[in-house]
Amino acid sequence: MKNGHSRREFLKTGLATTAAMLTGSGTGIVGMSQAYANQFPDLVVVHGRRPAENARAAVEALGGMGRFVKPGNKVVIKPNMSFARTPEQGSNTNPDVVAEVARLCADAGASRISVLDNVLQSPQDCLKLSKIPAGCQLVPRTTVQNIQARRLFRETTVPKGVEVKKMEVIAEVLDADVLIAVPVGKSHSSAAVSLSMKGMMGLIYDRVSFHSRYNLHQAIVDMVTVLKPHLVVMDATKILSDGGPGGPGKVIPMDLVIASTDMVAADAQMVALGEWYGKKFKPDQVRHIRLAAEQGLGRIDLERLNVKSINI
Amino acid sequence: MRFQRVTQGVSLALFVGLLALAAYPYPDGIAADFFLRLDPLIATGTMLATGAFLVALLPGLLVVASVLIFGRAFCGHVCPMGTTLDILQTPLNPGRKPTAENSAFEATSRYRRYKYLFLAVILASAVGGVSLVYLGSPLSLVTRLYALVLYPILVLLGELGLRVGSGPLMQMGLDSLAYLQIPQKVFVTNVFVASLFAVIVGLAWAQPRFWCRNLCPAGALMGLFSRKPLIRRRVDESCTECGSCIRRCPMGAISEEPSRTAHSECVVCLRCAEVCPVSAISFSRGQSAEAGPVQVPDLTRRGVVLALGTGLLTAGLFRTSMGQPRPLTGEKPPVDAYLIRPPGAVPEPEFLAQCVRCGECMKACPTNTLQPTWLQGGWEGLFTPVLTPRVGACALNCNVCGKVCPTSAIRDLSVIEKQHAKTGTANIIRSTCLVWEYDRKCLVCDEVCLYDAVSFQAVPDRRNAVPFVVENRCTGCGWCETKCPVQGSSAIRVTLHGEVRLATGSYQEKAREYGLVFKARQTPYHQIAPETFDIPGAAPAPRPSAEPAAPSGTDLPEGFIRE
Repeated sequence: MKNGHSRREFLKTGLATTAAMLTGSGTGIVGMSQAYANQFPDLVVVHGRRPAENARAAVEALGGMGRFVKPGNKVVIKPNMSFARTPEQGSNTNPDVVAEVARLCADAGASRISVLDNVLQSPQDCLKLSKIPAGCQLVPRTTVQNIQARRLFRETTVPKGVEVKKMEVIAEVLDADVLIAVPVGKSHSSAAVSLSMKGMMGLIYDRVSFHSRYNLHQAIVDMVTVLKPHLVVMDATKILSDGGPGGPGKVIPMDLVIASTDMVAADAQMVALGEWYGKKFKPDQVRHIRLAAEQGLGRIDLERLNVKSINI
Repeated sequence: MRFQRVTQGVSLALFVGLLALAAYPYPDGIAADFFLRLDPLIATGTMLATGAFLVALLPGLLVVASVLIFGRAFCGHVCPMGTTLDILQTPLNPGRKPTAENSAFEATSRYRRYKYLFLAVILASAVGGVSLVYLGSPLSLVTRLYALVLYPILVLLGELGLRVGSGPLMQMGLDSLAYLQIPQKVFVTNVFVASLFAVIVGLAWAQPRFWCRNLCPAGALMGLFSRKPLIRRRVDESCTECGSCIRRCPMGAISEEPSRTAHSECVVCLRCAEVCPVSAISFSRGQSAEAGPVQVPDLTRRGVVLALGTGLLTAGLFRTSMGQPRPLTGEKPPVDAYLIRPPGAVPEPEFLAQCVRCGECMKACPTNTLQPTWLQGGWEGLFTPVLTPRVGACALNCNVCGKVCPTSAIRDLSVIEKQHAKTGTANIIRSTCLVWEYDRKCLVCDEVCLYDAVSFQAVPDRRNAVPFVVENRCTGCGWCETKCPVQGSSAIRVTLHGEVRLATGSYQEKAREYGLVFKARQTPYHQIAPETFDIPGAAPAPRPSAEPAAPSGTDLPEGFIRE
């Protein structure tokens, strides 16, 4: 067991290092993803009974975690764990998916893996019922934390922001090398859906003004110009089809994991695959997803994307 | 280590520990208010003011009884006020060297009578039905200091410390500590409480334990019964009259003639026995043959009568003051509309008689909504707890204020009972409401209402549905007032209209009788505030840049747009 891990770690480390050397990229991620652009699918949709396996297969299909996480990197994983709900209720990310992504990061040699969210209900209950801390307990160098104290946030500018010009973001996120979104597919009573982009609101301090001062959809898009995940691993084991974000609501089992380096494409795919409020919607019917595509933050034209489907 | 330091240390640690545990969630099976219930003045004053025997306060009477045997040992070993003053004494010791002459009982007794007079004022006003216990009760004063002054500063220091220390802690792998969120507290009157305490401490510059010697009415009450305690200071013939004991006695309880003791002033700290070079002093069963104890000087009949009169007059003044809560003519008294008492507070007249303003409930309140008030409750209501929903509201699953109240001024209710104890009714201030006044879209009060007591309805002349409070569903918890996005004063405020105050009996039954329908939304047990995640609006009026509003009559869920 231990040997297996270290062999894989070794291979990944080697692969990532070689890749970094080949592309000659100092900063890594951007250069690397360009180098890989044609090698890997734009989107991966994995269907299978075991959420962790789905997540693993999805990341493998995108080139493995070594493509995103280099040895020594600090990684922030953003799940949904804002509600005191069990995984079956669909408000929080499946703990197996979160733990698997964290494990892949650890295997890729991350020096620190922080699973962070600014929860909306009582932290004790959210963390316990979501089962995410329990799931990540055995993953090395991994910590699951609720971040609420203002001292842990830092103001950052939003250069491309249309409405939001400045926001306070969890400092650790700003300092991280890699940001991975691991949202659950769910409906949202004011944002239509809450997926990888809307989920990033769990990393900022003042969410209320997003609702009250700004146009929510534009504010979400402004935010993700800064908080743009390097990788999205979307849990669609079960989706919360209505009653979101907190539920209770209609939970639809889908046994899927969707992964992409393109947050807009991942969210678009989730909208297209899911059923919301008893209806089917096209991705461009969700304001913030359409706005994000229009602003060039990602692609919404699913029919023209290289989508890889995997059945386990 | 000296025996007294051990007992005082243990006692103070217990006191602070219990106060720390007075919080939500509250551990079962502890009595966070234990020390307050030991206070003889709280016991006697409150029982006199309410005219009832309160079993919960029996320990205070037992402490009075204990002085017959042990003298004022409570003051010297248990009382956290005495211990706190002892801790602060060292830097305050006067520059001049104490001599046997200027430290002896006779030379230091100029003000001692005031504590008896203070006691007379408080007990007389209590007989008049008005409790002034909080002015003199050492436990009330010291609990207020620790709860309202020191505790908020401590949590602030913790936060500031973590601001610096979070980084290093993270590197050390102490993540949970680094990420710790320490809820901060703010209190009305804290500056006043601190200043008053500073005066009490400052007086120790004149005499050690100035408060205990001259002012403490609880000490006076114990002094009345400890003129000849069973176990008391005894000096045998080997005494050389060196005067060491006189100089070191923190209470100035030893006569110029060192074998004689004012037992009513002695707090049995045992220092005299420890410093005696010839070990002539012991604390043991008194002998009838010993020289008679020194008596309390200057407690004239005139003084006592004056003090009793002052107490009664104060009670009379307060009870005839505007805003006093006892309806004299059968009509409702003119009480401040925003005087929202904690859920389970007994009816106002009893509440004022029972509340000792110790601050336990305010310390324990997880939302900081319980605040001491100045004159909102009239003169009689000084420092009593009120809900201030703009700061925070009453947490759904919390019933801790009643659990920590030493005098049951706030009843110890089960959570379901507390949820039925209506504290008031929310009232929409239409002239500042975003929807009513500015025709903006906002649903916050409805979103956060845990009892579904806000209903939005369409009305003529408004594009958006406007909020109404459903009176018989509203418990007055105040989350709507806390979360209302209007800046400054909330556009929905809880008034005491409709409050239910029961001295005994079930709030659930009373609610049924009154036709109140309190069905609380389920929230997680540890949850304090309702989540405001899906505030769908409070959005400003549409700006030119924003996309056109969805056409009316659309059946699309919020956030979606037409194909």
